[in-house]
Amino acid sequence: MGEAVAGIVANPASGRDIRRLVAQASVFPTAEKANMVQRLLAAFAASGVQRAVLSSDLGGISASVGQALDRGGRPPEVEFCDAEPLTGTAVDTTNAVRRMVDEGAGVIVCLGGDGTARVAAAACGDVPLLALSTGTNNAFPEMREATVAGLAAGLIASGQIDPDLVTRRMSVLEVVTKARREIALVDVCVSLIRHVGARALWEPASLTELYCTFAEPDGIGLSSIAGQLCPSPRSSADGVALQLGPVGETPYVVQAPIAPGLVVPVGVRGWGVLRPGVRVELAAAGGVIAVDGERELELKNGESAFVELRSEGPWCVDVRATMAEAARRGLLRTTTAAAPGKERRR
Amino acid sequence: MTGLLREAYRMMRTIRVFEQCVHDASARGELPGAERLHAGDEAAATGVCLHLDERDAIAGTQRGYGHCIAGGVDVKGMMAELYGRRTGSRRGKGGALHIADLARGMLGANGVTGGPTLICGTALAAKQQGTGGVGVAFFGDGASGDGATLEALHLATTWCLPVLFIAESTAWPRRSRGWSVASDSIADRAAAFGMPGEIVDGLDFFAVYEAAGEAIVRARNGGGPTLIEVRRLAIPPGCAHGDCLERFRGTVLDGGGLEESILDRIDGEVAALVAASVAEAKAAPEPASADPEADA
Repeated sequence: MGEAVAGIVANPASGRDIRRLVAQASVFPTAEKANMVQRLLAAFAASGVQRAVLSSDLGGISASVGQALDRGGRPPEVEFCDAEPLTGTAVDTTNAVRRMVDEGAGVIVCLGGDGTARVAAAACGDVPLLALSTGTNNAFPEMREATVAGLAAGLIASGQIDPDLVTRRMSVLEVVTKARREIALVDVCVSLIRHVGARALWEPASLTELYCTFAEPDGIGLSSIAGQLCPSPRSSADGVALQLGPVGETPYVVQAPIAPGLVVPVGVRGWGVLRPGVRVELAAAGGVIAVDGERELELKNGESAFVELRSEGPWCVDVRATMAEAARRGLLRTTTAAAPGKERRR
Repeated sequence: MTGLLREAYRMMRTIRVFEQCVHDASARGELPGAERLHAGDEAAATGVCLHLDERDAIAGTQRGYGHCIAGGVDVKGMMAELYGRRTGSRRGKGGALHIADLARGMLGANGVTGGPTLICGTALAAKQQGTGGVGVAFFGDGASGDGATLEALHLATTWCLPVLFIAESTAWPRRSRGWSVASDSIADRAAAFGMPGEIVDGLDFFAVYEAAGEAIVRARNGGGPTLIEVRRLAIPPGCAHGDCLERFRGTVLDGGGLEESILDRIDGEVAALVAASVAEAKAAPEPASADPEADA
């Protein structure tokens, strides 16, 4: 086992989009993201990580963390990704994650929403990903205390827990157009809106098709539509495909929480199972394709697009399983001479 | 839709060409002190102001040419103002920092912190008179930490005023330059006052237009103020950057709503307008000695 390295990528723009305005989505301030990074670092130090590679950003997270470290940091050694010029876009996340992979990170923690996790997942290769929620729609990342997540990540990065035991490979949806290829961790949706604009989707009447890697009944975001009609667990290799339409013209209507604060009726014409490896043509000409709830791909007239469920997604850390394994093996406890009798085992 | 796209492009291009003209004239020594440019933020001014009508008011910044043009101030009057002529929008006596057109609700370019506080007054008037009007205040990252700006945010929330606070923010890596503000995210501050705060891409006209549209509808319907941080890169050395006009062209061409020939024709018309504004300004008379008292 070489040097124990872990990465942290934090998106300064997550949790800030128009859903603060059109809904009552939560606000995740920069200061709290910086605090989460510091809590992760504290947990890394306690779990044997020797070096942490942190993303740099134009939103103030890395600046705040850097100031805190200047005032007296503790191990692990911290290194910021500042070799690449910052762009203030998702490219910064991609560059940071690639750098972490190159630096030999044993795990990468991602702070953001579904959109940030999607970008990190596309760049992390086989390095385990631990996505924590600081975004708006968080069907994919977990709402979990960063300290505990940091311990789990640190135990994997330091080689104390075999990632094969506590990570699970997720499926992704791959969207291909003439000029671009994107992945989605949760859903791909076709909208009649022409422009990417403010990115988020909050008008269900514009939606025509929806594809999901998984659909949980208690999910938030577009996959919640499928979650109430045709649930499909994350553990399933199959996904789901839905045809949507205006309410009043469809046989089914779902009251779906498509964004925080937005429970709206969504018309559904029908649905079916989406098998891995099957390429489906999207009828999206002249509209946009949203990945994980954000408009991303504008299609010009006549341009075609395809979606395919693929099983080669990111390896994701199961924090609960990791901490259970740590407890089973006693990795975070010691027995001193003051203990009465020998160590108890359950 | 194509009419809106044409209008948006014309407005952004007019701001760009007007400012390029001011820059060139300043370099020649013709317009000392006038180079307070808004270049790069055309999408912010345009995306917001295209939603406004005669009920509304705008307060700009010291870099206010873009706000003035997007707010409907006559380009020829603006240029004449910069040249100090009687035909200027303030009859040649205001100059770069005091271009205004009160008849159009354009309260004028303002000093660093003027806009947010001024606009609360017009918004309060609109609310009390029930006009449905909104006030829009533009300000920069420096003003975002000023006490008067924060008081304006407080006042607007407390009185539920129909205001849009538009922070034109230029993101820059703080660790590399030192810092002058406590938080790099201006939008973060909105939550403390209980108003929505969001960040939009300042290079994307469509993102600004959508966000501003939602906020203005909300304000007109009594929903209160919104803070929108329109963020773009300040183009530090070595950083990649984009351009809102080029991005707009790329989006609307190739089946996206407009033909290249239309955009090129607008380019030509804008260039001719700005050139004519300079020629007419230079030929116009200067203020007479009696004018200051006459226009008081």
